[in-house]
Amino acid sequence: MPKQYRLLYDENLCIGCQACSVACRVENSVPDNFFRLQVHVQTKGVFPNLGMSYERLSCMMCENPPCVSVCPTHASFQSKDGLVHIDEKTCITCKYCILACPYHARFVNPLKNVVEKCTFCYDTRVSKELLPACVSTCPTEALSFGDMRQKGSLVEQKSQKEVLVFPKAHLGTKPKVAFIPSRKGVKV
Amino acid sequence: MAYLQARRDFLKIATTGVATTVVIPGSLGALGEVALKSEDKFIRSICEMCSSRCPMEARVVNGKTVLLQGNPFAKEMGTSLCAKGVAGASQLYDTQRLVKPLIRLGKRGENKWREASWEEALSLVAGRLSALRERYGARSVIFSAKTGEQYDLLRSFASAFGSPNVFSHWSSCPIAIESAFEHTFGEKLHRDFENANYILNFGHNLFEGLDIPLTKAMAHFSANPSKKLVVLDPRFSVIASKANEWHPINPGSDLAFVLALLHVWIRDAKYDKKFVEQYTIGFEALAQSVKETTPQWQQTLTGIDAKVVERIAEEIYAASPKCIIDWGHKATTTKAEYQRSRAILIANILMGNVEREGGIYFAKTAERINAFAKEMIVPVLNDPYPRPLVNEKRLDGAGEEGSANRFVSKRHGSLTAIPEAILAQTPYEIKGWFLTRHNPLVTVAHPQKMKEAMEQLEFIVVNDIYLSDTAMMADVVLPEATYLERDEGISKIAFKTPCYAMRNRIVEPLHQNRSAIEIVRELAERMGFGSHFVWRTVAELRAFQAKGDSVLLETLLRRGVASFDVPELFARESVFVERFCERHPKCNSLLDSNGLLSSMLTQLKTPSGKIEIFCKTVEKAFKGYGVPSAVDMDVKQGYPYVLTSGKSAVHTNGHTQNIPYLNMLMSDNPIWMNPLTAKEHGLKQGDTFYLKNGISKEKGTVFITEGIRPDTLFAYMGFGRDAPMMKRTHGKGMNPSKLLSLQSATLCGAMITNVGVEILKA
Repeated sequence: MPKQYRLLYDENLCIGCQACSVACRVENSVPDNFFRLQVHVQTKGVFPNLGMSYERLSCMMCENPPCVSVCPTHASFQSKDGLVHIDEKTCITCKYCILACPYHARFVNPLKNVVEKCTFCYDTRVSKELLPACVSTCPTEALSFGDMRQKGSLVEQKSQKEVLVFPKAHLGTKPKVAFIPSRKGVKV
Repeated sequence: MAYLQARRDFLKIATTGVATTVVIPGSLGALGEVALKSEDKFIRSICEMCSSRCPMEARVVNGKTVLLQGNPFAKEMGTSLCAKGVAGASQLYDTQRLVKPLIRLGKRGENKWREASWEEALSLVAGRLSALRERYGARSVIFSAKTGEQYDLLRSFASAFGSPNVFSHWSSCPIAIESAFEHTFGEKLHRDFENANYILNFGHNLFEGLDIPLTKAMAHFSANPSKKLVVLDPRFSVIASKANEWHPINPGSDLAFVLALLHVWIRDAKYDKKFVEQYTIGFEALAQSVKETTPQWQQTLTGIDAKVVERIAEEIYAASPKCIIDWGHKATTTKAEYQRSRAILIANILMGNVEREGGIYFAKTAERINAFAKEMIVPVLNDPYPRPLVNEKRLDGAGEEGSANRFVSKRHGSLTAIPEAILAQTPYEIKGWFLTRHNPLVTVAHPQKMKEAMEQLEFIVVNDIYLSDTAMMADVVLPEATYLERDEGISKIAFKTPCYAMRNRIVEPLHQNRSAIEIVRELAERMGFGSHFVWRTVAELRAFQAKGDSVLLETLLRRGVASFDVPELFARESVFVERFCERHPKCNSLLDSNGLLSSMLTQLKTPSGKIEIFCKTVEKAFKGYGVPSAVDMDVKQGYPYVLTSGKSAVHTNGHTQNIPYLNMLMSDNPIWMNPLTAKEHGLKQGDTFYLKNGISKEKGTVFITEGIRPDTLFAYMGFGRDAPMMKRTHGKGMNPSKLLSLQSATLCGAMITNVGVEILKA
């Protein structure tokens, strides 16, 4: 049976420390000054009524991926588990997918001259029953990952319990990455 | 601040391209490709990207480290590790690392070197150190290292050499809280964040100065809606953003707030009277001392409304004993840092949270657990680093009757006393300095003066990974192996239960790098006191330490950590005591009439054996310091602004700024400034300006943010490097240490890191 992966990002637990970003770089040899994954922290409000927003930026592994439908060579494709991958051999670096992605998650790897993005560490880890590098290293356990069809799994349980936000849900892309928004926003 | 950038920069292509490679003599880049030999495997070890020393594991494929993560055999770690820890391989393979010993050519600090063999470098070091001892006496040589195994090693070496002048990094970091513990409890206690319900935090920013077990516990605490976190900090830090309440307190005034809390509790008789009566001495003196420190009084000092103090006092009382007033490890640093630390400890004591679940507790070391179990349930280690007493006066007067530093630990010293001692050659001649992974020209106050002093020395040897600002001043630079290339001894970790951890080599040293253990052992041999150490190799050291316990050694080799299934024990929680006694029935004979282990609190290493709210010896030497009192809170010294500094989550003090992966995340330290302040001085985002005070005038770049008080400025530490060999960091940002004076905090000798400045347009 195909898997139904989900990655949950709990903004309440995230401290913006970038351990996930470095783990991703190490695991996937992401070229210098490019990022498959980053967390942006921003201070909001006016002194002394302040809050911080934590935003995780990466591929959302859409159920309806615009990057796949625009790809002229089918280099961007969806696996039977619903994950979006890029076949480096067929990628002609036309960048349509970069323009189509509403999450700005793709970039051209200058060393290989192909388009790249987060893969949920499918090849090196998830296919071997390991957690993605970012999930594994997160110092505060802000990330959880797993198969939603597996009853009682951490993602399944948390998804039941928490209010989930799917980024840019109005676009109908149906992301597999969901956010648990911070309960401590800007105090007004 | 790359990681605070706007979203549109997320995937920005670097405009710099590939920089022209300039090969540094003695660096890894000069060697070209290095062949690595090692099997593919998981190896468990200890991180060393900061002082927290988290247990970690490495996946090694084809002899190269693939991913570092937390060691799941250490329960509190899981697979978690911070950005610095994960970037360990980026340091290991950094082409700007040193791989060959360097010997100075030209003038000191001129940065001209020649490569040397280990044989030549070590015989030069051994010869010069021996000559200094011969000519000026052993005390003429200073030894300094960051606290940890390397410091224990160097201290042992210094004592065999005969010098009392050993310094750790303590006085530039935790010395105030360590002294406060010493005088209050006779030893250090820990915080049970996991089970607390209320935490009052004074700028202890565990979300930017990470220590994984503590950070993780604090993160779960702050994310739990049924718990309450209150943060007092002039800056809107990451932990402030996770708090239920943030109060932008006046910098330097934590002490006033705590004294007002104490005042309210005592005024209303809302504190744990039974606890105070049974376990402490000196309460009356405290009550007298805080008579006038009303919430109204603190308002003018802290800027926090009196009503807020009243409310918080009541809330904590209601939450006690499952509440913690967090002391951090260094926060306001004013002249009164010792008093601040003591006041916080005493506030905890009044809440009766000592040895209670969700409160604060004594470390459950192997020795303590064995004593309560009345049997050997945890193996006790041998000390491989003997330290015979050197009966000589220290250059900083630490521990010396009559000296201003009489209460400063002789083991750690006060670093800010060094420059004057060298420049004035008082109290005696100082001619040499041996530094192991210690970079005072970045991390200690007034590096200008320190540099001037170093120039006067006859011989300096530095053991480091990079040719740092301090290493540049050396005669001989010894290229140390990074922690991923080193085997080391066993280290003790004792929080709620005892645990041992061991640093195991992840990969073979890349080139000629050697560990400090190998270097120091070799020097001892050459200088004729090899017999000082009973071991010759790390393998022998470990075996000696473990007293030949092969099971322990094998566990540490395979798992990186060893724990002993000891039940958690809080001496004043009957459930925990009963569970412990059930497992270890001999403990029953130690129970008091309430079935608790109160002797843990009545046989302390303080003069009275009890918790000392009032310290007689301290009062005798420093009038008004026997109990916490309102003293020395001014940090502005007449200047309009206060410059504060602190850690970021991606860098450690003076250590990590040049590491490629981390430098990519933060390569600069623009100074935080409130928009109102910026407007007043006509500064726009990114403008350069000067910070000026009586010590120095330093150029900075402005980072305008609402997240700071208008009268306060903030800079992340560790930037403003002069060392040209650290190419990624050289000339970037500002070194806040350059604006600090050499005056240290009263009694404890701590470096003062909050300082008054004015803003001048560039």
